[in-house]
Amino acid sequence: MTGQPDVTGQLRRILAELTDDSAPLEAPLDTALLRDGIGLDSLRGAALLARVHSQFGVDVAGEDLNLDAMATIGTLAAFIAHRVAVRAPGG
Amino acid sequence: MIKCVIWDLDDTLLTGVYLESPGRRPPANPELAGLLADLAGRGILQAIASRNPPEAAEHAERVTGHAFAATECGWEAKSAAITSIMTDLGLAADEVAFVDDDALERAEVSFSLPDVLVLAPRDVADAASWPAFSPPVVTDEARRRGELYAQRRARQDEARAFGGSRDEFLRYCEQRLTIAPASRPDLPRLHELSVRTHQFSSTGEAVGEAAFASLLESADHRVITARLSDRFGDDGLVGCCVIATSAPAAEGAAARAWEIQALMMSCRAMGRGVIDALLAWICRAAREGGADQARLPCVINPRNVPLRIALTGAGFRVEDQPTRVPAPRGVQGGRPPGPAPRGVQGGRPPGLARYVRRLDQALPELPGWVSA
Repeated sequence: MTGQPDVTGQLRRILAELTDDSAPLEAPLDTALLRDGIGLDSLRGAALLARVHSQFGVDVAGEDLNLDAMATIGTLAAFIAHRVAVRAPGG
Repeated sequence: MIKCVIWDLDDTLLTGVYLESPGRRPPANPELAGLLADLAGRGILQAIASRNPPEAAEHAERVTGHAFAATECGWEAKSAAITSIMTDLGLAADEVAFVDDDALERAEVSFSLPDVLVLAPRDVADAASWPAFSPPVVTDEARRRGELYAQRRARQDEARAFGGSRDEFLRYCEQRLTIAPASRPDLPRLHELSVRTHQFSSTGEAVGEAAFASLLESADHRVITARLSDRFGDDGLVGCCVIATSAPAAEGAAARAWEIQALMMSCRAMGRGVIDALLAWICRAAREGGADQARLPCVINPRNVPLRIALTGAGFRVEDQPTRVPAPRGVQGGRPPGPAPRGVQGGRPPGLARYVRRLDQALPELPGWVSA
């Protein structure tokens, strides 16, 4: 789990950039990404997953058909951190 | 298929350098302005990427008489300007052509965006005769496409200045979405929509006019259109779904389902709540029609992620595969949330997911701006 705070921080910065708002930098981990939470629409949601793919090499849309990982900031960070850890050499 | 031509200004679309002639700004290059108008008439969008202040784009609009779909003026790399335009208009690199007189600029774009078609001004006339620039059907929507995107720019400018929520902005825009059965005059546009739509397409492939025509005649199918307008303009037919109304909900089950065999929405309607409204309408109409489930087979590809996010938001879930070989006990627990069902054994085409929405649960609200 040592990598996760870093993943969360990077994810927050991506969200702040995509929404042009600093709120995601401070929002609680259980803040929803879509609708009432961060308020991403489907297009910006897709842009988020594209950024996650290029920045972390994790293809959330390809691996998680129901996109459950996209529920909150925390679930997405955990999904990415898990995939990154599984891929790490020796881990 | 090229959907957008992005033009440089200095010594390309303009006969001279904008900033070097402050007294008398350069006129449009008549040959290229003529080609631009020809391409726009085929439904191909026109945009500007120029190393100039934003006033240069306004000047280009005046001298060409064309309202551009997107303009990027500034001093960043041309590849960055093109990327911004692609994001803004929802385009992939292989749907874009870039015209610039400067060989260095062309090389930079070719290197950074290898899928973009890069042309020197002298090559545009020839390229305009290539199949990639010749859509097979040019619908009324296509002829008005440039104008519709110019309206979209005006709407986005106002949205940025608007203080309230998205819903409040849609109300302020007096947005209307009209959902109605398709009829024969819609056939060319329905086909065109199926060809052009990738980000909000459940089938990922074109549907021919003849196929749509047969579906219109079928007693077991409903072909539904969605038309969008607001105070900025009339976008026309932006969405479509094909519904089979008599599918059994599941093998051996008594329940009835509506199967959405195709769902598509134009990129132009992105960000205006249309796909969510259309999904809400489908769920509600299916329940009123006596169905217990709405089902939607959807291709899984990198481009239709926006549609899949909208499906999840409307309560659709990828169905468990009853015919799949059961995983050995204990495997499931160690996985992160929602692993992709790989190696499906049920004879399903690869990359196709079956989404199901149960209709006995609370359904998404139909916004007040929808009339059906």
